[in-house]
Amino acid sequence: MSTGMRSGLDDYIAVGPTAIAQGRVEALVIEHQTKLARYLRRMVGDAETALDLSQDVFLSAYRMLCADPSRELRAGWLYRAATNAAISFMRRRKILHVLSLDRDLEGSSWRIDERGAASIDLQAALGRLPSDQAAALLMTSYAGYSSAEAAQILGTTADAVRQRVCRAMKTLRHVMNEEQD
Amino acid sequence: MRVGAGCGEAEILAGAIALGEAGDAERNAYREHLSVCRRCLVSIGGEREIERVMNVIADARAQEHWQPQTRGLFAGAKSRRPFLRWGAAAAAALLVVFVARQGYQSHPAVVHSVTPAAQTGVSAEQEARVVAALGTQSVPKREHHAESLAFSARENAAQTITVKVSFNAAGKPTHCKGLHRANSQKLVATLCNMVMRGR
Repeated sequence: MSTGMRSGLDDYIAVGPTAIAQGRVEALVIEHQTKLARYLRRMVGDAETALDLSQDVFLSAYRMLCADPSRELRAGWLYRAATNAAISFMRRRKILHVLSLDRDLEGSSWRIDERGAASIDLQAALGRLPSDQAAALLMTSYAGYSSAEAAQILGTTADAVRQRVCRAMKTLRHVMNEEQD
Repeated sequence: MRVGAGCGEAEILAGAIALGEAGDAERNAYREHLSVCRRCLVSIGGEREIERVMNVIADARAQEHWQPQTRGLFAGAKSRRPFLRWGAAAAAALLVVFVARQGYQSHPAVVHSVTPAAQTGVSAEQEARVVAALGTQSVPKREHHAESLAFSARENAAQTITVKVSFNAAGKPTHCKGLHRANSQKLVATLCNMVMRGR
């Protein structure tokens, strides 16, 4: 290449789509992180783990958007990823049935949270639920999705979600009655 | 509804009632089932019992005060690589150097290798800043060598956005224009702003 050719040179550079992916994920974080982290905290019973998992979810979203910037990412995707992450975590650690408030870094706040009318330890009761029931119950009654929406997120049917909610209710009711006795 | 045989369906109905999704027909069907099924009456209970249980969750949701401390998703990366924030001037310098070494290419969609910093007079740190500013994903691997300017475009050209930058003799960017696909105008504008800010 001659020096003359460089004068007023137009050069082309190719860049990856990371900047726009970062912007989109940051917007998702701002809009959904608090709710998602709360949902995860209820699922896994631990605030630090919930934060770790929610960060993993957003990083997954970021990688996905880097690979395909035109992809639409909605809250449902985040909740599906979060649910899968929570279930994997619980299975991996085999803590589903041994969660205790002693292991919760903010255990005292759970008790303060749940001095409601029914006066039960909701988190301990949730820890007794199979993960699919906990997810169905929390996604609907806690995160605010309808059974149809939750079904789409969880990859099942609305009737299956309703049934899981009912079975979760049975366990909660049992715990409530135990505590009243 | 037969006793026992309809319990699965009753669970679905009870779930719908719990979620506020049941109409009169569903509620009547559930009541009818309870009237003949003691098992469901004991294990699930009537509508008021369903409401009582669900109120526990509603209360917890209403009283939720935990505000997760937002961990800036990219804050860690920024703190480790503060050069992410200012890269335009260095980008201009490096690109000029790159052009000098590599020669003019009318449309190099992929840059796989340029001269290492030591030979170009551009510091490794500047190079890293350039790479970061341009949004490449290969920075962390070899950020002190210009080889990290290997973009992923070759693997998937459809995901590449090309920006055309003009420089003056002093190596300052004078013009920036993007060759964008649909939906990528915003990214192109962002990138051009990033480059031109160093003027």
